[in-house]
Amino acid sequence: MKLSARQLCFFLAAVAPAGKLVLLPSQLAAKAGNDLLFPLAAHIVFEAALVFLVLLLARRERTVYAMIADMVGGAAAKAACILLAAFLLWASFVPLIEQKLLVQTLFYDTLPSYVAFAPFFLLAGYLCAKPLASMGRLWDILAPLFCVGLTGVLLFACGSADLGALAPVGGSGAAGFWRGLFGASSWFFDAALLLPLLGHFPYQKGLALRGALCYLAGGGAVVLFCALYFGVFQELAVSQPFAFSQMSKYFSGVAAMGRVDYIFIFSIAFVMLFYTAMPVQAAVDVVAEAFARPRALAPALSAACNAAAFAALLAFNFVPSETIALISVRLFWIFPAFSAGMLLVLYAAWAAGRRRRHAQ
Amino acid sequence: MEYVSKDLTKTREALRALLPAQDILCTALTDGAGRQACCFFADAVTDKDLLGEQVLRPLLAYRGAAEGALLTAALPVPEVRVANALSVLAEEVLAGNPVLLLEGMAEGVIAGTKKVPARAVAEPPTDVATKGPREGFTEDVKTNTALVRKRLKTGELEIEFLTVGKRSRTAVAVCSLKGISAAGVKERIVQTLSAVSIDTVPDASFLARLLSDRKHALLKQLGTTEKPDIFCAKLAEGRVGVLTDGSPVALTAPYLVVEDLQSAEDYFVPAARATFTRLLRLFALLFAVYLPAFYVASQLYKLQLLPVKLALTIAGSIRDLPLSPSMEMLLVLLLLEILNEASIRMPKYVGMALSVVGALVLGETAVSAGFVSTPAIIIVALSGIGLYTVPNLIEQTSVLRLVMLLAAGSIGTYGILLLTALSLMRLLSAESFGVPVAAPFAPFVRQDLKDALLKSDLYALGMRPRCIGSPNKRRMK
Repeated sequence: MKLSARQLCFFLAAVAPAGKLVLLPSQLAAKAGNDLLFPLAAHIVFEAALVFLVLLLARRERTVYAMIADMVGGAAAKAACILLAAFLLWASFVPLIEQKLLVQTLFYDTLPSYVAFAPFFLLAGYLCAKPLASMGRLWDILAPLFCVGLTGVLLFACGSADLGALAPVGGSGAAGFWRGLFGASSWFFDAALLLPLLGHFPYQKGLALRGALCYLAGGGAVVLFCALYFGVFQELAVSQPFAFSQMSKYFSGVAAMGRVDYIFIFSIAFVMLFYTAMPVQAAVDVVAEAFARPRALAPALSAACNAAAFAALLAFNFVPSETIALISVRLFWIFPAFSAGMLLVLYAAWAAGRRRRHAQ
Repeated sequence: MEYVSKDLTKTREALRALLPAQDILCTALTDGAGRQACCFFADAVTDKDLLGEQVLRPLLAYRGAAEGALLTAALPVPEVRVANALSVLAEEVLAGNPVLLLEGMAEGVIAGTKKVPARAVAEPPTDVATKGPREGFTEDVKTNTALVRKRLKTGELEIEFLTVGKRSRTAVAVCSLKGISAAGVKERIVQTLSAVSIDTVPDASFLARLLSDRKHALLKQLGTTEKPDIFCAKLAEGRVGVLTDGSPVALTAPYLVVEDLQSAEDYFVPAARATFTRLLRLFALLFAVYLPAFYVASQLYKLQLLPVKLALTIAGSIRDLPLSPSMEMLLVLLLLEILNEASIRMPKYVGMALSVVGALVLGETAVSAGFVSTPAIIIVALSGIGLYTVPNLIEQTSVLRLVMLLAAGSIGTYGILLLTALSLMRLLSAESFGVPVAAPFAPFVRQDLKDALLKSDLYALGMRPRCIGSPNKRRMK
């Protein structure tokens, strides 16, 4: 099953931003204060550039495995794919913790048992057994759903937002910017998520630019969201980790009609479900493909990866903040380093392939 | 294979051996030239007036040579042919067409004077329209093909007849429009049905299951209709239709889920009204499936889902209930399903008593006895009504509603979300004859959105739906 360029753009513009609305805004507010938008924008621009480069690689319509195997042989390519899968599994941990915390807060009045989150892994197991490229139709549905959800939340929240809280611009200084930039790294790995999709969509002229622009558009929506978020909560923003589920409740109509904003919040949470499962799905996909037995391997790998993810989540159940701090503060460099490093390898493979073709 | 012999006695005995049933009659007579002849016919399904007037009377006067071609020319029956295989002759007799055998003739003459008991064309009870045609299909495939032919008077309408069922020998008509129907669909249907080995085919739903790719899927993969106008409209969009003898339900393929949210009437009212009713149906459907689940989830896990005053009212009415919210809702939903099942099967004259027992005795007294709460009854009633706005999906949605309720009762709103995600994945991966059933939404086909949930004006619908894959794109200039 092949993806279409439209579906890919839908993903970049309106599915990928869903993963940046839970803990990222409060994390940015904690690190960069009222200047939270600058590190965020910098990340989005950097990631959009990576997306552009990944999509340029799609011109060869070869999978990651095939590209690396052309350069260094099958065994090394398999090792590289396993490394990519390991990175994706590592990257999946923050979204999983986010999802668990969000579920506990958003869907229950009182703190439920952690088992309440367990059925997520049944869905994830089902999703991961399917190739990532078969998600295209899903993105066709999720993209408008996310747009409706985010627009609703933003409209409901804008009345109670004071954008003056973002002033004075540059108040937290360069240190705040760098803190924000490093602290938010673990939320930006969308270019790496695209790697397993290489070779599964036909490249159209201008797709790389279109994809990058779509990512920037989605990122723009996240920037707007964060601006309103800080405008609504201001100094309290640091302690509002599940912002998108809280910002709209101050809308005057909510008092009369009840929490109608839940329609929009649940829409975003629904999109988030799939985005959370995506890194694990990508990890399963890339390994199954490298071993050329996707049908046989994917279900077993899916079960194993999701069981491992669930076990890890249980192990770190009582220290979520410390876990997130470990991933996003102490080991933040893994994300940009791996994304950029993997791209360098792939471009080297591409160049080697070209040289070989010219030589022939 | 046995063939007709020139020796009439031998042929008669051989055919009788193939047709030993007592309702298969054999009339012996002599033609105008003094030769022995006989006529085999099935008693209940042959038009005996027509047989006497247009077959036997001319035979009594026939003096020509004992040749099938000459004898058929002498019979004024419009549908007449010859065959020499005894099995073919036996099959025709069983279908209601009498077979003439003549001494010295090595062929049997088949006269098309079948008369199958059939009800008159009437408005189908499942697809009532206040505006537009009221005709509905009947159980007779010939009548149904006539209804189709009446609306599509074009040589492009191709009807291929098949026989399915080793014992029922059910006639199946596969209808398509040459140059318009999606490529390969008709061939696949014919190929699948020809390869089927089944005893009997009592209804079109059997064929629907046989033609489905995913045999155990809850979601259907073929469209259904009881109205010839809808059937013909679907053929004109590029679909292929299947009419089954003995069933008033016609099948169409490829199927899109959005078809079931549309009704025939949408095309006979202004576009704005049609759009409104389609959206209303979708809303009612979602409301029906999710309302009981959200009600239970809000009570058990997230009271904030309800406005404060409503939450207080509900809290007051459920205060002394012995059952948990999920058990209460499950009980009332099951009661509704039981009442529904009973009202369909029960003789009509008992229906009034059932309404009284269901609505008054069970509903009213259960509330006053404190078994169930009033809000639960209201929610189930609303859900029950909402579900019937899209009757073609009732089998799927009623199951989904129950499963949603169980998920909500177990882990609350998150369970509803997870189950919705799973159902969505199943829906999106389903295909009907290579066409994704969730089209034109997923995959997104912008052109087809003009007649999906929104209904554009007739002038905007100049192109056939792209997702069906008709080779002829334009239907109106």
